[in-house]
Amino acid sequence: MRLLCCLDGTNTKQVSLAAQMFSTAEPVTIALLTVIDAGPRRDIDRTRERFWRPPLRHEPVTDEMQAAERAVSEDILKTGLRHLPQAETLLRQGLPELEIVNAAAEWRADVILICPRAEHGEPPNIGPRSVGHVARFVLDHAPCPVLLLRPLAGEQFPIRR
Amino acid sequence: MFLFFPLSEFWRTLLASIIGLLTLAGIMVRPFRWSEARIAMAGAGALLLLGLIRPADVARTLLRDWNTFLFFLGMMVLSALAETAGLFDWLAAQAARFAKRSAARLFLNVFLLGTLITMIFSNDATALILTPVVYVLVTRLRLPVLPYLFACTFIADTASFLLPISNPINVMILSRFPLDLLTFLRLLSLPSLVVIAINLGIFYLRYRKQLRGSFEIDHLPTAEKAVRHKAYFRYTLWVLAFVAPSYVIASAFQFPLSLVAIAGGLLLLAGALFWKRTTLLEAGKGTSWPIFGFIAGMFVVVRAIEDTGLTLKLGKLLLHLSRGTSFGAVMVGTFGSALGTNLINNVPMAVVMNSSLGTVQHAAPAIRNGFVAATMFGCDLGPNLTTVGSLATILWLLILRQRDVDVSGLDYFKVGVVVTPLMLLAGAFTIWLCM
Repeated sequence: MRLLCCLDGTNTKQVSLAAQMFSTAEPVTIALLTVIDAGPRRDIDRTRERFWRPPLRHEPVTDEMQAAERAVSEDILKTGLRHLPQAETLLRQGLPELEIVNAAAEWRADVILICPRAEHGEPPNIGPRSVGHVARFVLDHAPCPVLLLRPLAGEQFPIRR
Repeated sequence: MFLFFPLSEFWRTLLASIIGLLTLAGIMVRPFRWSEARIAMAGAGALLLLGLIRPADVARTLLRDWNTFLFFLGMMVLSALAETAGLFDWLAAQAARFAKRSAARLFLNVFLLGTLITMIFSNDATALILTPVVYVLVTRLRLPVLPYLFACTFIADTASFLLPISNPINVMILSRFPLDLLTFLRLLSLPSLVVIAINLGIFYLRYRKQLRGSFEIDHLPTAEKAVRHKAYFRYTLWVLAFVAPSYVIASAFQFPLSLVAIAGGLLLLAGALFWKRTTLLEAGKGTSWPIFGFIAGMFVVVRAIEDTGLTLKLGKLLLHLSRGTSFGAVMVGTFGSALGTNLINNVPMAVVMNSSLGTVQHAAPAIRNGFVAATMFGCDLGPNLTTVGSLATILWLLILRQRDVDVSGLDYFKVGVVVTPLMLLAGAFTIWLCM
């Protein structure tokens, strides 16, 4: 079984634990995927366009942006490898939702492991809009089954009837 | 004279109006992804070629607005050379240091830093230079990027009427309709603070969950690392310490602000050349030259429309809608300008309003000042509605959205459409109270 684990920098532990559960059942091949989101760069370019400036291409700040993005992504993968040392790593750049489904197809993943959204210190979110746009797109467009790793939120239950 | 044939006044008016409106529509839609500068220059060229505007009138129009052109130039040179010194990276690193690991405090500091930079360098510097710097910073700190990028993009416009130099649009409008500094501050300081507070408050509420976290101090770059050359950095601080109060003094005495910006730019350029931090070629590359073509083209096109009497009619309509009251002047000026900036971008709208407001020149001072302050306010803050471009861009993004792919530009619109009308209303009301 080929598991594609999507890491966003906030979910390494959760995804690794889930992947380990799979590995007890049958032999698995695991890939850790992280995507450098191209969205913010596009927004910056769009703002530049509004101020009649060309997109950022070879300015010194572009190198700094790339270096920062790469350093953080490599750090995320390195942390993932600490939990799953046998995994291979995939680093992509683009719109995360598109890159994930395309990587799943190219890598011939049997299951995609993904969290509903990046959690930056906020309590677990359940209820409407708790699935972010990336996970939503992956659920809608994935070429294989998707395992959505919801956070443990037992204290928020029971939901009022 | 139309080419080689004499033409009646009616046909001249009709042709000039059609070319003018086509130019404005072209800027709005940007067919074939042509740049606004190319479209504006094409419109001006067509008017000139067809004899619908005289070369002497073109020269007079462009010379009359020398202050605007020079201010744009000085402002761009100043910002680019301050960036070369590493000033913006240094300030961002300091903002992170003062945040003491708190993501929420860093968010507040980015807002304050954006306000300060907009106040001194104008909104261009915040939107174009500070935004990528903050992006690098928060990426390194492993914080969610979007709230901070939103903060930079929005504060660039929200803080751009704190001082006359905070937005080139202010300089453009004040060149035609001078307001003394005290009147400017009396009319626009409090509204500035009100809209900044609204912007900060709504953004904080919107992103409070993402801002709960903290960042590791190890990921924080040292402020010293941002300084690329110590002597040039110190020199830059000295020059800015001279330029910032000079702007205020120049505004107080209604001395052309462009000369201060150019003097500051030249001083920084001299320092940068002396310490070999740039070359003339590099400094030239740091300046957006098409912008001058765009503004010049717009001035000529609007001048030709002015001759047809259309802008006069628009001015009369605005005056009529205001019902001759200061409250009406502020509301009509604010919302008219804000709507226009989202249709045809803020520079063309400011040029159109500049021409139309000729009709209020002889109105009662309260109405005249109300219109002038509200036009600056609307043209400066209005772009926050669509932020990443005009309404045409938003329509294009909506079409892309139908492909089911997330279009982050639309996130800006969703936020802008909530926060901007509120800020416009509260700000306009405060301007009226301050009159």
